[in-house]
Amino acid sequence: MVEYSIEKIYPSDSNNMAKVDALLQRESIRRDTNLDYTCALYDGHHQLVGTGSCYKNTLRCLAIDRHFQGEGLLNQIISHLVEVEQERGLLHLFVYTKATAAEFFKNLGFREITRVDNQLVFLENRPNGFQRYLKQLQSESDLVSSQTSKITSIVMNANPFSLGHQYLVEKAAQENDVVHLFMVSDAQSLIPYGVRKQLIVEGTKQFPNVIYHDTGSYMISSATFPSYFLKDSETVIRTQAKLDIMIFLRIADALDITSRYVGSEPFSRVTSIYNEIMQSVLEKNHVEYRIIPRFEVNNEAISASKIRQTIKNGNLFDIQEWVPSTTYNFFESEEGREIIDLIQKQKNVIHY
Amino acid sequence: MNIAKSSVAGTLESSDAQVTIEPAENELDLDIQSSVLNQYGRQIKKVVLDTLANLKVTSGHVYVVDKGALDCTIMARVEGAVYRSINASEEGIDWGALK
Repeated sequence: MVEYSIEKIYPSDSNNMAKVDALLQRESIRRDTNLDYTCALYDGHHQLVGTGSCYKNTLRCLAIDRHFQGEGLLNQIISHLVEVEQERGLLHLFVYTKATAAEFFKNLGFREITRVDNQLVFLENRPNGFQRYLKQLQSESDLVSSQTSKITSIVMNANPFSLGHQYLVEKAAQENDVVHLFMVSDAQSLIPYGVRKQLIVEGTKQFPNVIYHDTGSYMISSATFPSYFLKDSETVIRTQAKLDIMIFLRIADALDITSRYVGSEPFSRVTSIYNEIMQSVLEKNHVEYRIIPRFEVNNEAISASKIRQTIKNGNLFDIQEWVPSTTYNFFESEEGREIIDLIQKQKNVIHY
Repeated sequence: MNIAKSSVAGTLESSDAQVTIEPAENELDLDIQSSVLNQYGRQIKKVVLDTLANLKVTSGHVYVVDKGALDCTIMARVEGAVYRSINASEEGIDWGALK
């Protein structure tokens, strides 16, 4: 009986990484730029027959050499990756895979959340993870009654919350009965989520018809849209954006959301690609796409990147004209100074 | 016994079972996936619930991915997951306490 072994491949091990890349290429799998763990499966002759990788709570770039398929080897790789993730404390995992491979994952405890173009399938290793998230969103929405008709939504990162963000919420709140405000809770932004959320809530207190939700793992997260945070190619951004928006549609359905408000995007490339895809997918699915021109100060659109850059350059005072007093007061506080420190230590603060 | 944190025990290899347990407020729910669900689903459910009862676990989300495991294996994996979720090996496990 053949004994297979699994070994970790270090990113600096260019020789073996190249072999892994070659295997992925043979099996027509694109190698993701951003991975934080890679393993290789070897047969008894130390020949590379399979590989699998992780990025945070997602499993990616899995492949078994075609001559070795059908022997339950994917099983071994997945079990190994699940163990690696477990050691990191990540038990709720997501997978992106080709439609043809989705069945294998379904046999290993993964359940489908949604698919894109019938080519790419998104799965999680919980039977009801997404459903539980939807129920939680619904339970947070007691503002909504059978009388409520105009229900809209906004998804914002707010890194940090500015007058521009406030303007967008104001327009949505004025023009609709209820606004579902989704805050990007994935921990990748420079300013920690706890702070971003606090500034969003404080800066929108005056609008009583806003309901606040975390996006969790299901929207603009490392699982659904890692290229939002980490630079990647246009094709990748487009595919991931589509997936993220498909998930948004499911959420919109569960909450009877009929439109989504978005600020115009003159600066960030990834956000503008995302908005472009969003517009076409939403329109096809009868959800209104409302694009609001950015709030301007001195004929210039407000940008969170610019705010971060200004803070980084040591000119905190200058951000006053771009942010509400709630945000500025925070940065003047002791906790705010710790965040300023974080920003100043970061090499690049501009969102690509 | 109170499930403090999420944990996993077992693998997805043939003849094994992977048991995941997550903390829950006031409910004990069980989800089983098995290629032999039709033939052995009830038996698997019984073994899992009995093991949880013996360990005095009254709340949690339990997920089982069964790959053709025998009762003893399922029981061992449930124990493993529960003990891991309460960090039992640091306190000292009472081996032999379970029948």
